[in-house]
Amino acid sequence: MTVTTAAVEVRGLTHRYDSGRETLLALDGVNLDVGEGEFVSLVGPSGCGKTTLLRAVAGLLQPSTGSVGVLGTTPDDARARRVLGLVTQDPGLLPWRSVVANVRLPLEVTGASADVDALLRRVGIERFAGYYPRQLSGGMRQRVALARALAHGPRLLLMDEPFGALDELSREAMRVELLRLWERERISVLFVTHSIREAVLLSDRVVVMSGTPGRVVDEVPVDLGRPRTPALEETAAFAALVSRVRAGLGGQPW
Amino acid sequence: MPDATDVVDLPGLPAEQEAAPARRGGATGALGRWLGLGFAPGLAAVVLLAAWEVWVRARDVQEYLLPPPSAVAQALADEPMRYIDASRLSLTAAMGGLLIASAGAFALAVVMAHSRPLERALYPPALMLKVTPIVAIYPLFTIWFGFGIWPKMLIAALITFFPMLVNAVIGLRSVDPQAYDFMRSLDASRWQVFWRLRLPSSLPYVFAALRISVPLSLIGAVVAEFLSGTSGMGQLILIANGDFDTPALFGAVVVLAALGVTLTGAVSYLERRVLTWHESSRGV
Ligand SMILES: Nc1ncnc2c1ncn2[C@@H]1O[C@H](COP(=O)(O)OP(=O)(O)OP(=O)(O)O)[C@@H](O)[C@H]1O
Ligand SMILES: [Mg+2]
Repeated sequence: MTVTTAAVEVRGLTHRYDSGRETLLALDGVNLDVGEGEFVSLVGPSGCGKTTLLRAVAGLLQPSTGSVGVLGTTPDDARARRVLGLVTQDPGLLPWRSVVANVRLPLEVTGASADVDALLRRVGIERFAGYYPRQLSGGMRQRVALARALAHGPRLLLMDEPFGALDELSREAMRVELLRLWERERISVLFVTHSIREAVLLSDRVVVMSGTPGRVVDEVPVDLGRPRTPALEETAAFAALVSRVRAGLGGQPW
Repeated sequence: MPDATDVVDLPGLPAEQEAAPARRGGATGALGRWLGLGFAPGLAAVVLLAAWEVWVRARDVQEYLLPPPSAVAQALADEPMRYIDASRLSLTAAMGGLLIASAGAFALAVVMAHSRPLERALYPPALMLKVTPIVAIYPLFTIWFGFGIWPKMLIAALITFFPMLVNAVIGLRSVDPQAYDFMRSLDASRWQVFWRLRLPSSLPYVFAALRISVPLSLIGAVVAEFLSGTSGMGQLILIANGDFDTPALFGAVVVLAALGVTLTGAVSYLERRVLTWHESSRGV
């Protein structure tokens, strides 16, 4: 890889949650790299520390030990430079704001400017600009969350199971749209998912984690070429990659 | 904490902008709704009053024991200014107290919601204020502030302070963690988080507190007037009681009930206008 500054560089990350008497080792010596412009997926069973890892990368959580570098600096500095775009596991939209107003939130906070209408069009929700989150379907809300994460022009997009709550049809549509967006913007993406097929279809590389404490057990480069289409899922190469990721997960049947 | 649990049962009425007609119709339909909302209670009231009137006249009950509704109406009609002036004073004390308490409690809640140590330090004295019977404090207030409107206002303030404080602290803390994470990922300042996230999140709780405090403030004001006997509805009741003027006593009760209903209705109306986004305005 001809990477100058890595988008994400995690070294020996260990995180322990302390709650009163009990402590829980959520992450144990995790190393993770995302190159500039690379699309990396993180798969692992529920509770293996994916959200914890993502929050550490976003500077929302101070890890117990280990180092995190983001775009050549610290996570806190990256936050201050407004180069992070975050899509949380639940969309976390503000219910009292309409769709446009939600997408404008990062612009208000950072003082950046952007063509919000164009942004809404790009994620396919321009017709719902005046709607409130409660009037939208789950898929629509995720689109709003995506538009909101992109509004201020981030260089690293952190997505935590953004399609987790969607049905298979909406998921498929959202994958296609995410890829289309990413191929245009060419920003770095760290994408958390439960779905092996989704990870393989979208990514340049799949990082496989195992359960408590969270460790990286495998890294699978996805040499499938681009652009990716759903038809790719029928190929033998795709099946082989899916098997390899599944093997890394210990053969759990998902 | 009854103040906090009250939050759960915010009254549900469909918001204006909502595509609600489908939900509104239902099995009962327009006629059913009309009967339920206005007609049936009104009819029940008329029947009750008529029965009361007939019974009192038929049994020849003494007026000082139980006046007929017509005598109460007469008392109100004879001296309307007496009731209007008195309720103006009571209302000023109640609303003034409510305003002072709500503003002060919310400001304190902002401080407490931002700092656990400060919350721990300030909560016990606030709680002590709540559990102290305010009636016991009133003589002190007359010594310090005399017999004007101030001591009454302060009693109304004391009685409404705690519900607002508790609800506002909970409300200001009840931010959606994912929305908070998103704002932090943008390095939003405390100020931005406050205006754009905390304050709007707290509003349903603030309104719940107001619906508790509005009637409380009236109680506080009238009790204080009652104790001092110098002004307002409290004094009116005291005098009517001394004169065995039972129709006037009933008149005062009617006026106070009307004030309470009107004020509570005003809060609910405001709540529906402001919280169109909240579950409470969705009729669920
Ligand atoms: N704030 C916290 N305090 C204590 N323990 C926590 C906290 N957050 C997470 N944990 C624990 O840390 C472990 C990892 O949690 P995390 O949310 O990172 O998992 P995850 O991989 O994102 O799971 P999922 O796929 O279900 O979202 C879990 O065992 C969880 O119970
Ligand atoms: Mg998670």
